[in-house]
Amino acid sequence: MSVSIDFGQEVLARALSSGVDEAVVRLQERVYELIVFDSGLLRSYSVSRVVGLGVEVVVNGFVGYAYTSALSRESVKHVVERATKFAKGLSAIGREARRVKVGGVKAFYRTPFSQDPFGVDSSEKAALVKDLNRVGMDVKGVVSAVTRFACERDRRVVVSSLGAEALSEVLAVGVSHLSVARSGEVMERVLDQKTFIGGYENIRSFDWGSFVEDVSRLAVRASQARAPSPGVYRAVIDNELIGLMLHEAFGHASEGDLVMYKQSVLYGRLGERIAGELVTIVDDGLAEGGYPVAFDDEGVVKRRTVVVDSGVLRSYLTNRQASHELGVNVSGNARAQDITFKPIVRQTNFYMLPGNASVEELFEGVSEGIYLRGKGAMGGQVDPAIGTFTFSIGPSYIVRGGELGELVRGVVVSGNILETLSNVELVAKDLKVSTSVFGGCGKDGQLARVGDGGPHIRISKIVVGGG
Amino acid sequence: MISVLDLVERGVKRAEALGASEAEVYVVREESLSVKGSVRGVESVESGEAVNAFVRVVVGKRLSVQGGMVSRAEDVDTIVEGAVKVAKLSPEDPNWVSLPRRLGSTPTFDLVDSVVRSLELNYFAQFVKRALEMPKDLDRRAFASGAMASATSVAKAVGNSYQAPVYSEQTLFSFGIEVKAVESGFESGFYSYYTAPTLREFRLEKEVDYATRIAVETLRARRVETGVYQVLLMPRVFASVLGSLIVPAVRADMVQKRRSPLAGKLYSHVLSEQLTIIDDGAVPNMPGSTPFDDEGVATKRKTVFDRGVLRTYLYDTYTANMDNKESTGNAKRSGASNTYPDATNVLVLPGTSPLDSIIRDIKRGIVVHGTIGEWLSNPVSGYLNATVTHGFLVEGGEIKQAVKGVVISGDVYKLLGGDLAALSKEFEASSNYIVPAALLNSVSVAGE
Repeated sequence: MSVSIDFGQEVLARALSSGVDEAVVRLQERVYELIVFDSGLLRSYSVSRVVGLGVEVVVNGFVGYAYTSALSRESVKHVVERATKFAKGLSAIGREARRVKVGGVKAFYRTPFSQDPFGVDSSEKAALVKDLNRVGMDVKGVVSAVTRFACERDRRVVVSSLGAEALSEVLAVGVSHLSVARSGEVMERVLDQKTFIGGYENIRSFDWGSFVEDVSRLAVRASQARAPSPGVYRAVIDNELIGLMLHEAFGHASEGDLVMYKQSVLYGRLGERIAGELVTIVDDGLAEGGYPVAFDDEGVVKRRTVVVDSGVLRSYLTNRQASHELGVNVSGNARAQDITFKPIVRQTNFYMLPGNASVEELFEGVSEGIYLRGKGAMGGQVDPAIGTFTFSIGPSYIVRGGELGELVRGVVVSGNILETLSNVELVAKDLKVSTSVFGGCGKDGQLARVGDGGPHIRISKIVVGGG
Repeated sequence: MISVLDLVERGVKRAEALGASEAEVYVVREESLSVKGSVRGVESVESGEAVNAFVRVVVGKRLSVQGGMVSRAEDVDTIVEGAVKVAKLSPEDPNWVSLPRRLGSTPTFDLVDSVVRSLELNYFAQFVKRALEMPKDLDRRAFASGAMASATSVAKAVGNSYQAPVYSEQTLFSFGIEVKAVESGFESGFYSYYTAPTLREFRLEKEVDYATRIAVETLRARRVETGVYQVLLMPRVFASVLGSLIVPAVRADMVQKRRSPLAGKLYSHVLSEQLTIIDDGAVPNMPGSTPFDDEGVATKRKTVFDRGVLRTYLYDTYTANMDNKESTGNAKRSGASNTYPDATNVLVLPGTSPLDSIIRDIKRGIVVHGTIGEWLSNPVSGYLNATVTHGFLVEGGEIKQAVKGVVISGDVYKLLGGDLAALSKEFEASSNYIVPAALLNSVSVAGE
């Protein structure tokens, strides 16, 4: 039994022959290799695998989902019976999940590459990580450093009774580096990563030495910096941070499951102005620099969805159920971490489109403010029900009279989604979209690879916590 | 059905036959059921089973870890073969001593619940159905926007070249309720969560009541002025702060790699004398309890901070060998990773003051029931940053307004040192923590 469209069709036939009205079959095989050097020593050389199948069936409008890690005919029978039993069981106590009927996608996506990272000699990869770790440690002031290399092949098949026959195989490679620096009693850390969608040729052609050295030098400078005074600041946000902020602060609130369950502040606001007119935000499955999502885990094609157009909320991100409930087009955003999870609505590559301003213009109007930087940012979180978001930002700069001032560390920002988007004053031209093979979005305890991005922007006020 | 014990023994033998000088195999089988509901009612059920096998092989001082889902017994052979191949090509780890030479099981109680193990759809769906109906009966401004109940049955075994495998079975029940409140253009929402191996202490009404009360009472929440305030961290928030800043700092790997502010502070006074913090891997009916850790070493109870004095770090076998100590039974795995030490269950001994009297004594402070982003605080510097989503401003002992959108910050060793004003005598279990509420003086608050 292999992860192929043929096997998917066999499972689908088995499901449909058991009398269900509709079925979606998902097969997956993912391999992830991770090499970790910690302060000069190999800490871990690991390979992990996910393999299995999941079957979703609909019986009289009620949905059941079951999965197994065993790819045998006996397991297929058991999984179909289990999913069917739960769908029928739900009819006694639950509600039907009405969903739009949309034709399934016929698609084949495979990442182009010239050198398979899994085929590269393991000692060569380990030597690269070891060398980079030494480069990071050699910067004066650095007391500890962790360097990681990761590569991932994720092969997914979706076959459905609505006609989906889709196969995707994404190959990703990347390096991440964490440096911890000490200055007196103060310790500070900076973590950064770079990921390529493609093969090992990307690892060979990139200047990783400079990448690692920059991280270490920034950690040293941050350990010598002070925390900013807490308060409200005018801020320029760089094009590495904007995507992270958009994903957390706005993207989650635009996800149709949260909207239809009235868990989002964007509920009922379609057609309303919810952001400054310079703001246009899209979710694009195949964005340059992002993580490729050609179709979703319901077998629906993923194209570019315009969520905000010149400040006006135009659409939500949807699966088939949210599309039905909210009366908007299905956007192909049903995604699951792996076959052990049922897909939920989540972003693919979520980013702000560029404007016309130069980056220099953004600083010109800032007499007193802060330049918020993405390098070293640790992440963020939002409570979509009340609209409050927060982020841990990388080492940033105080801005005075339009000029960069001193570096500040330990910067945390907080705000309200709708207030903050309405406070966008200028949008620059320098769009950047990126992804990560080391992490992703963790909605509902499911990790999914995503991309995010945007250009530099300026906002009139944001709450900054610090020292 | 694949036997987890058989897979362990098969993997160890296969690795040794291929030339591994030491081998360890950890196998876990999970069966689960999850029921979810929304404003529309109960509408989703998921169920499945998966077997995961993880191997750690050593060739001399060269290591590799591999693993993941297995479809059949032969998959373990494939994983082992890959691990041995990579280990032979890996650089040596000069700090490597050996895999654990003694495995064992600590007696545990209340870790298996036959009802949870049944994975019976109707039983768990009823929790969700009732939870969805209750908030609007408690307050007309409230409704449940989501609820979930899940049951998991786990069988796991771990063994190595030195010892026969140890085996255990456990269950895990989880419940969550999201309540939203709406009134006159104001909105709020609050999520309450419960998890434990058994249903013995689960009170559906308590979780729904709490979520409903906080959602309604924070309807008109707004920021307060930037300044320095007293802050009362309610137990669930205090648990999260400890997990984000204190637990990483007592992990021996973080200490050894100089990523902890507690390096070199053993037997020093680093927290307030009011704080005694215990790590205990065998507390009845707690989700962090297990007879043995993820490399088969029996779990233990140890006082990590005794009246503010740091008594021990948390060790797995690798880090213990580096410090010439015994493992404290705290080995964890995150998928196919090497082991690392981490907390099992964290217990903070409560104080003597009733919560009511602590709040009455607050001159100007914020009572915090919910935060986001506290997990983004920096354990390397010990700096706390959290955004309050659900709080109440207290002046002169009286609640004045609901608070949201302010950032609380500070050096956690100062806040839990000289600035720790009181611990409540009431305490609460929250995931793998049992903690009281903690009143902190002089917390920096960024607001208006």
